[in-house]
Amino acid sequence: MQLIEKLSILADAAKYDASCASSGAPKRSSEGKAGLGSTDGMGICHSYTPDGRCVSLLKVLLTNFCLYDCQYCVNRRSSDVPRARFSPEEVVTLTLDFYRRNCVSGLFLSSGIIRSADYTMEQLVRVAKLLREVHDFRGYIHLKTIPEADPALIAEAGRYADRLSVNIELPTDKSLQILAPEKQIGSIKQAMQTIFTGEQTVLNEPRAPRFAPAGQSTQMIVGADDTDDSTILHGAEALYGNFKLRRVYYSAFSPIPNSPKSVPLAAPPLMREHRLYQADFLLRSYGFRANELFAGPGDLALDIDPKLAWALEHREVFPLDLNRAEATLIARIPGIGLRTTERLVELRRQRKIRFEDLARMRCVLTKAKPFFITSDYHPQQAESTSVLLREQLRDRPQPQQMGLWG
Amino acid sequence: MISLECDNLFSTWREQARWLLSHQIDPSHVSWGEVEVADLFATDEHYPTHNGPFQARIPKALLELLESAACYHGEQRWSLLYEVLWRVSHGDRTAMMAGDQLGSELQRRIKQVRREAHHLHAFVRFIALPAAVGPQMPEYVAWHEPAHDILHSASQHFVGRMGRHRWMIATPLDGVYYDGEQLIHQRQCPEQWQQLARNVEDPHSAMWLTYYSHIFNPARLNPKVMEGHLPSRFWKNLPEGKLIPGLISEARTGKQRDGQASLVAARRGKKISSGHS
Repeated sequence: MQLIEKLSILADAAKYDASCASSGAPKRSSEGKAGLGSTDGMGICHSYTPDGRCVSLLKVLLTNFCLYDCQYCVNRRSSDVPRARFSPEEVVTLTLDFYRRNCVSGLFLSSGIIRSADYTMEQLVRVAKLLREVHDFRGYIHLKTIPEADPALIAEAGRYADRLSVNIELPTDKSLQILAPEKQIGSIKQAMQTIFTGEQTVLNEPRAPRFAPAGQSTQMIVGADDTDDSTILHGAEALYGNFKLRRVYYSAFSPIPNSPKSVPLAAPPLMREHRLYQADFLLRSYGFRANELFAGPGDLALDIDPKLAWALEHREVFPLDLNRAEATLIARIPGIGLRTTERLVELRRQRKIRFEDLARMRCVLTKAKPFFITSDYHPQQAESTSVLLREQLRDRPQPQQMGLWG
Repeated sequence: MISLECDNLFSTWREQARWLLSHQIDPSHVSWGEVEVADLFATDEHYPTHNGPFQARIPKALLELLESAACYHGEQRWSLLYEVLWRVSHGDRTAMMAGDQLGSELQRRIKQVRREAHHLHAFVRFIALPAAVGPQMPEYVAWHEPAHDILHSASQHFVGRMGRHRWMIATPLDGVYYDGEQLIHQRQCPEQWQQLARNVEDPHSAMWLTYYSHIFNPARLNPKVMEGHLPSRFWKNLPEGKLIPGLISEARTGKQRDGQASLVAARRGKKISSGHS
């Protein structure tokens, strides 16, 4: 099979993995050196496809042959898809070619499970090792980790890769048993623990060889089972806490060809995915806890963002005086982000904050208006009930895209 | 009214601004012309050429902000900077902050400039010249059309990225060439560079175009988000740009059913019997 045919099959097979980040790597440069590539911590999105997603890395599978039969996966063994397999050298050639063209900032390599977990992991590591040692490649490398692989192989992967990831796949153990019977939650978490330990070992050891300096991430498929958002985000919070993950990626389940009956054949729940990312950001950067976002079981609202939802449930906190309130509280005002909070704090050291300052800072004023006070403004809406406010502030439903097959 | 011309050079503007400030000349009495040759003393008032008595104290951070905002192509490119400088040097630091009317315009320009530098890092596409052209020529060339003056500073990024390779980026205004050891910037891009970058053939682009088509998930079609991140002004210089309309319309006419590209769907599949691969 020609290389270009393999590429078409193995890129198509890899598109369901949401992550394409190339950020968080240490500073590396090839200035005046043999070889190729640099990283500086910032990711670069070299292109965007018409699904609005960024193309930052060459994201392919080494092979889409797979022994497993995960129901949500297009590459499951019972799926009737064309199959292909790259040699490690072929992946290296493609990575370097795309990199020189400035089309990507590195490689994100994953694989179906062939022969055994160890064999598959060895092949992935071999690609990274060739890039780093034979070609002096200093760009970004993200390797998918096969959970059942020998910890020694995972440790080796960590020496070459900037990022490692183990997919948690589904939000609950029960769903995993039903939809991915060959996978075990125990070995997934064990692999996360191995990576976490690897990271901890080199921490504060400046001379130790680097270990996955851009940390580890995971992906959870949303909408393939009926788990609610509360369970999903409490799960994510635990992963952030237990294994210090950099990111949990939520991937709205995309219908796959020849879909088995066990998974839905519906358009991917993109708005739900969006709300999960917003809530996840509140957990990671705004100091929210999952149990602040959910009173009990249930899903995030689709028509309002999770910060607005929280504010409407906690009217006793608002309106906040922007000239006095603590920064962490200002950041909890709907429509006001971390950057705006920083700017407000900077400005109020110089003078009183006025209403028109907010308009200039490009925050979402209609959302923020009912929740703050400035030296020249007090919101009339402070007296409105939350029900009424929600009615005023919710997103109007977008015109539905006509499904041509519905 | 004093009209000045700084040849779009920050260092020249800086000298002029220092002189103006030392004579306490109010921003409303100065303007900078973009193209027409202006005479420093084409004014009915008389000023000495040496610096005046006023000693301005400005925060170091301001100079960096001004230098960055100076890369912005737009109305009042240089006079806006003087107005900011004037206010800050007279004790009003809000002029450099986003909450202030002038400050927010300054910050907006800085943001646009930073974004444009990022666009260079992201959307430059190098094409290899045939190896036969020899060591006097670049190995890789690119044509890029930046909206602001970012090429010189932002192209430093590629020195780290490309190692010892020789490369060149040509634009309608300026150009850079890295000869494997040093970065050469030409304020006026030589026509030969422009010709080279615009007319180079790319016989090996099929791999990248194939990858781009196949990593796209038609079930998630969302062209609005794409255009927000990848403004359409860049499409014409990106090899994948010409694929975009076709991929969108194919997704709209049926391929939204699932994520697989139609070319893969058309191939014969292979189920794997449990136990071997």
